[in-house]
Amino acid sequence: MNFLTRPLCLLAIGFAPAVVFAGDESKEVIPPESPVTETQPAFRISAEYNVEQTYVGDAEVRREGVSRTFDESDTVVDFVFTPRVSFGVLRLGLGYEHFSFGFDNGWPLPSTLQAANLVIGLDTELFNTILVRIEAQPGFYGAGTSDLEMDDLNVPFIIGGTYIYSSDLQFVLGVGVDVNRQYPVVPGGGIRWRFASQWVLNAVVPTPRLEYEWNRSLTVFAGATIKDQTYRMSERFGRLGGQPDLNRAVLDYSEVRVGLGFDWKINNWLTLSAEGGYVPYRQFDYHRTEVRYHNVHGAPYGTVALHGAF
Amino acid sequence: MNVRLKTLGGLGAAFLILLGAANGRADGVSEMAAFSVFGKVDPAQLAQSDVKVMRSPTMNSPRLVSVQSCYVTPRSPAQEMAVMRDWNPAKHRELKIFLHSDLPGSPGPNDFVALRKAPDNSSIGDLVSKTQKLSPDLQISQEEAKKLSTANAAGGGAMPGGVASFWMNLLAGRARAFATGGSAAEASYNHTGQNIRANDELNALLREQGKVRGQFANFLGGTGIGRGTGSSKPEMYWELLDVDGDGVLTLGAAYRRGSGNGPYQSADVLYYASGGYYVALTLFQMWPVNVGGRPSTLVWRGDFISSEQLASLHGVERLASESAMMKDITKAVTLYRRDTSSAR
Repeated sequence: MNFLTRPLCLLAIGFAPAVVFAGDESKEVIPPESPVTETQPAFRISAEYNVEQTYVGDAEVRREGVSRTFDESDTVVDFVFTPRVSFGVLRLGLGYEHFSFGFDNGWPLPSTLQAANLVIGLDTELFNTILVRIEAQPGFYGAGTSDLEMDDLNVPFIIGGTYIYSSDLQFVLGVGVDVNRQYPVVPGGGIRWRFASQWVLNAVVPTPRLEYEWNRSLTVFAGATIKDQTYRMSERFGRLGGQPDLNRAVLDYSEVRVGLGFDWKINNWLTLSAEGGYVPYRQFDYHRTEVRYHNVHGAPYGTVALHGAF
Repeated sequence: MNVRLKTLGGLGAAFLILLGAANGRADGVSEMAAFSVFGKVDPAQLAQSDVKVMRSPTMNSPRLVSVQSCYVTPRSPAQEMAVMRDWNPAKHRELKIFLHSDLPGSPGPNDFVALRKAPDNSSIGDLVSKTQKLSPDLQISQEEAKKLSTANAAGGGAMPGGVASFWMNLLAGRARAFATGGSAAEASYNHTGQNIRANDELNALLREQGKVRGQFANFLGGTGIGRGTGSSKPEMYWELLDVDGDGVLTLGAAYRRGSGNGPYQSADVLYYASGGYYVALTLFQMWPVNVGGRPSTLVWRGDFISSEQLASLHGVERLASESAMMKDITKAVTLYRRDTSSAR
């Protein structure tokens, strides 16, 4: 007899590896006279992290017949505490990203772009079926020099929601706001759909993917990564090339990577990822001074990352 | 004068009836508020609304999760229990239960013969494939693993003969073990490389929900849930269902207690699963309430699951998992209430 069907869809967004957990030692039967008290949850640090390195080979951008050829190194480090509170999950942490472009003579394109920011956010729930994320990333978003200055301060933020239609299908919709961007509000979102037992269409911008779960530890995927961030040039950046209107100019750098890769869950808190492919699009856009370098030809790229949550 | 006395007497009787009803209502509502995550609910309001679903307090073990729900149905607890027993969730495809069958007190392999006619779909294909490969994902003991002959497990059809026979024997053995020795007699899932025991998982689930355990302690003490066999006789069953896209074979047992128009308690345990989760436990408490002059039942339901997959979820993924669980409970209870709205 089955009284009522039980909820057994666990929405395993990522399958767990075979990890030995601390066993529950008690083998006691349930004592009828058990004290009526609630076990207090033990304090447990909860966090997620990501350390990622990407190299892009020689590519070319051009403006008004002038080309620039360069390679790229992109380093990302994030660490975010995710403590559970009564109204959701807080997100409190730090992020750092550093682009290094290998120009011989790149001006007016910067040889570095870097962001050092805080992460302050909240994941919470509405009506049991909608998860909402509000997250600001206040920090320094600079370029042109290795230093980050007070004028580089910016507070981009995102507001998004995930509607959980079922454990197999979720819809994501949100906006990213950056007042320095040419279009300050950019919509994003997508769909996550497990359409077969091992296949997941995780088509959510900025990292849409088609995933195949080879086994509990290994997922292979094909997909894209879309990057778009604004950076503030230094005070003397324009003067270096005789174009003072680029002093303190805002550069909107965007890049699209398309490739194949895998996620290997080494254990419950550590995943090794690697991917490789091609960068078909990138743009350096000083949109307020209408100086734009468009993509001429892309380049292959490779990424290695260690990430996880605990 | 005589007429007036009769009228007053009638009013007095009516007042007593109303008082009794109010007391009955207060008892169930107060009792539920004392051990559950729900505060004081209004049964009249609850009778007109959807099922109310909330998370249980966070548990220490990352592989445990619990959700509680409550709702009101328009019949007495005794009627409610009977209706609940007769309801067949397998007719709703969206609940992803492919096969469901009751079991006798001492089951044999032939009680699982329906397995040979399992539907042909990707979930079942996944279960068959894992069985043929003797995948480490299978939650079986090392002794059970030795009984699978890979040669015999090969073959065509949704459920090849060798695969079906393997599972029929395994399920029969585990069901008999439960019938004679409760969940404490269940072999561990040590083929996975971990020494996971259903009995330990059930005790962990209950230990971390102290108030719920206190509420059900006397009742559960007579069952085979989290212990050896109890004095109560289980109503046993097996199912073939889908868990996150994977076919899963599971064994369950249900117990109930209560009589007349008093409170009822019931427990439904999944003490074995071939994958997806370790154990699942659903507890019910039902109280008689009077809604609009109609005998009704206030139902509290607690769902508790232990799963390795849950342990890998953190932050928003964990939140999403719990939301999906609440959504599934809402869906199941809504279908149940819709199907049984006219039943008495």
